[in-house]
Amino acid sequence: MKSRAAISQTADLFAATAFAPVLAPTTASEPMAMPAPTALLEPRSASRPALESLRAAGIPPAPQTAEPPRARQLWHAVVFPELVGDAHSTIMLQRLSLSAQQFTSFVSIEPPNALLLEIRGSVKLFGSLQTLLADIDAAWRRLALRTCAATTPSTLAALWLARAGKRIHTEDSRTLSGHLAELPIACTAWDIDRLQTLRAMGVTRMGELLRLPRAGLARRLGPATVLDLDMALARQAAPRRAFVPRERFWERCDFETEIEHAAYLETALDPLIGRCAQFLRERQAGVLALELRLRHRVGPATRLRLGLASITGERRRMTDVLVQKLSGFKLPAPVRGMELKSGSLQPLSAGSLDAFAGGGAGGQDGPSQLVERLRARLGEAAVYGLRSIPEHRPEAAWQRIYELRLVSARRLGERRLDQMPRPVWLLDEPVRLSEPQAQPLNQSTLILEQGPERIESGWWDGKDVTRDYYIARQIHGARRVPGARLWVFQERRSRCWFVHGMFA
Amino acid sequence: MPKPTPAGAPAGREPRMGERQSSSLADILADARVWKLKDASATPARPVWSTGCGALDARLPGGGWPTASLIEVLLDDTGFGEVQLFLPALVACQRRADPGNTRSNSTSAGNAGSGGTDEASWLVWIAPPHEPYAPALAQQGIELGRLLVVRPPSAMEALWAAEQALSSGVCAAVLLWLKGTDDRWLRRLKLAAEAGRALGVLFRPERHRFESSPANLRLAVTQGEHEMRLDLLKVQGGRPGPVDLGP
Repeated sequence: MKSRAAISQTADLFAATAFAPVLAPTTASEPMAMPAPTALLEPRSASRPALESLRAAGIPPAPQTAEPPRARQLWHAVVFPELVGDAHSTIMLQRLSLSAQQFTSFVSIEPPNALLLEIRGSVKLFGSLQTLLADIDAAWRRLALRTCAATTPSTLAALWLARAGKRIHTEDSRTLSGHLAELPIACTAWDIDRLQTLRAMGVTRMGELLRLPRAGLARRLGPATVLDLDMALARQAAPRRAFVPRERFWERCDFETEIEHAAYLETALDPLIGRCAQFLRERQAGVLALELRLRHRVGPATRLRLGLASITGERRRMTDVLVQKLSGFKLPAPVRGMELKSGSLQPLSAGSLDAFAGGGAGGQDGPSQLVERLRARLGEAAVYGLRSIPEHRPEAAWQRIYELRLVSARRLGERRLDQMPRPVWLLDEPVRLSEPQAQPLNQSTLILEQGPERIESGWWDGKDVTRDYYIARQIHGARRVPGARLWVFQERRSRCWFVHGMFA
Repeated sequence: MPKPTPAGAPAGREPRMGERQSSSLADILADARVWKLKDASATPARPVWSTGCGALDARLPGGGWPTASLIEVLLDDTGFGEVQLFLPALVACQRRADPGNTRSNSTSAGNAGSGGTDEASWLVWIAPPHEPYAPALAQQGIELGRLLVVRPPSAMEALWAAEQALSSGVCAAVLLWLKGTDDRWLRRLKLAAEAGRALGVLFRPERHRFESSPANLRLAVTQGEHEMRLDLLKVQGGRPGPVDLGP
């Protein structure tokens, strides 16, 4: 027995070769010349005239060609005439597309009031096209919604037919022009200008429009119109974007008694986090943020926002951060209930799905857990990294980093001794020594030990410096007790001395 | 694993040899507060990191700063080169990328599963008195990509952060600057350092010099004639006293 894939492949191959003479006009520049079928045929019988024409052309049909070539996609359009295109209907359409996702994974929202379902893959699952269509219809009937649906291999044709109220379900793209011919041009939902131009030309039905010469049409109404027609006749692919529901975890629980201490909330929180982790695991997703809302008897709910250092769906890490946040928190009022809400879901990278990676069951944390635990309690700005910047001006040669790359590749620091040693501490602002515009400081309170290193830079951005840096030793009192080792500089313009750092 | 502390010893007290002059040697040795140097000096219990200063290494048991322990540095000012004492060790422990280098002989079985050697290379500096200057650290060989600076709003939070960082198992070393803290917290930090196998360094003002401390190693840094002056106040398995740093 031949495998199914092999059969359909042969059918496709046949479509590409044997039907070439029949389909030739469709690829030529004047596709409107294609004769419209005189009768609307069911897909099964539609192959007969084609076979006869083949026989007439002397090409023997292969045994598998009893069925017409199957379009790769089959689009089911549903129009909901009750929706009028306001904000409410947008939300309704989103809800309806969620419900439509039980039939296919590909649902596209077509504003203002329609949905497009790609059902090619679902036909086999539901047994037959008839069963599937009946099931879809039943779903809308249960919601007491008035609908009008059509099914064609082309997105636009299905949509136009459904808008016009024609319940046509066909799998054969060659019958499309016939089906479309009777439709009023208004069902295309083109803009008013285009429709009025067409009406002025005396065109009111799609059939008349399809008969117009292609080049003239493109010139008068723009190439978009011709493209739309090609899409409707399934000569052009009409890409659609699948509706992806924006999912979040959001669950609430109410307490039988009011909770007065944050510490007791942790126990109540545990099952909630467990369900959140389960929710994320099922979707192979993680979150970067969580929000906990504590509801009180009076007054607004208390909101606690939690940021995570990296995308996670791990129960232990989420518990960690929440518990940490709660531990430093004073409840403004007793809590009657709470809600846990996740931020938008982020796909987990393959690496983080690995159950055996660090931070699994072993109880050892990764660096990101440490960072987020510290940040949960101390605040975002209290934890940062440092970066060295190749820049001559000392104050501009470093930077704080708040977006820590915690899994960065290991790069060992390199010892550079090409310049004078730099101090471990840098003062926020250089501190001016009280010395008058002094000459040698050597005798008074500083002993210059090393230097000078001249730094002259930044003339281009207005913060230019011209300084001579020295490593100096502080001297205390009359007994000349040496003190800290400082990094000092003399500004060359003002001849003033400043301390800029300390060698700790 | 030979441990210098006999079981049940009050870890907070130094042995004071002069206290029982009338008793016999056997009595003294039986005293739980007496350290037996023979045990401690046999093999170092922990891996150590060189201080980069030969004279100091020679005075420390094992020849360097002990890891998985708390070191207390008492000093009143900054600028003596006190951080410089630890920088070579910080560089070395960040570089222990080769597995089996120092950890293979220790009890690191618990960490082995989580790919510890690579992760346990973070440095955390908590509440430093000034801004750590990135070019200086890079110049010394510190890997800045694995350095965290934490600025907690209060001393309590700083201690909490230090405990978290030390026990996380992610950090090679945690440096903490504090104005003062009590004995109870030091004990917690020490336990956290042992749990996380990290080097904990606490910088405190010198007025705490005569308080008891559970730290494994205590030293006081003051300004000497030319260079800084270093006094070992407490060395587990070593001999306290001033260190001649030499030229």
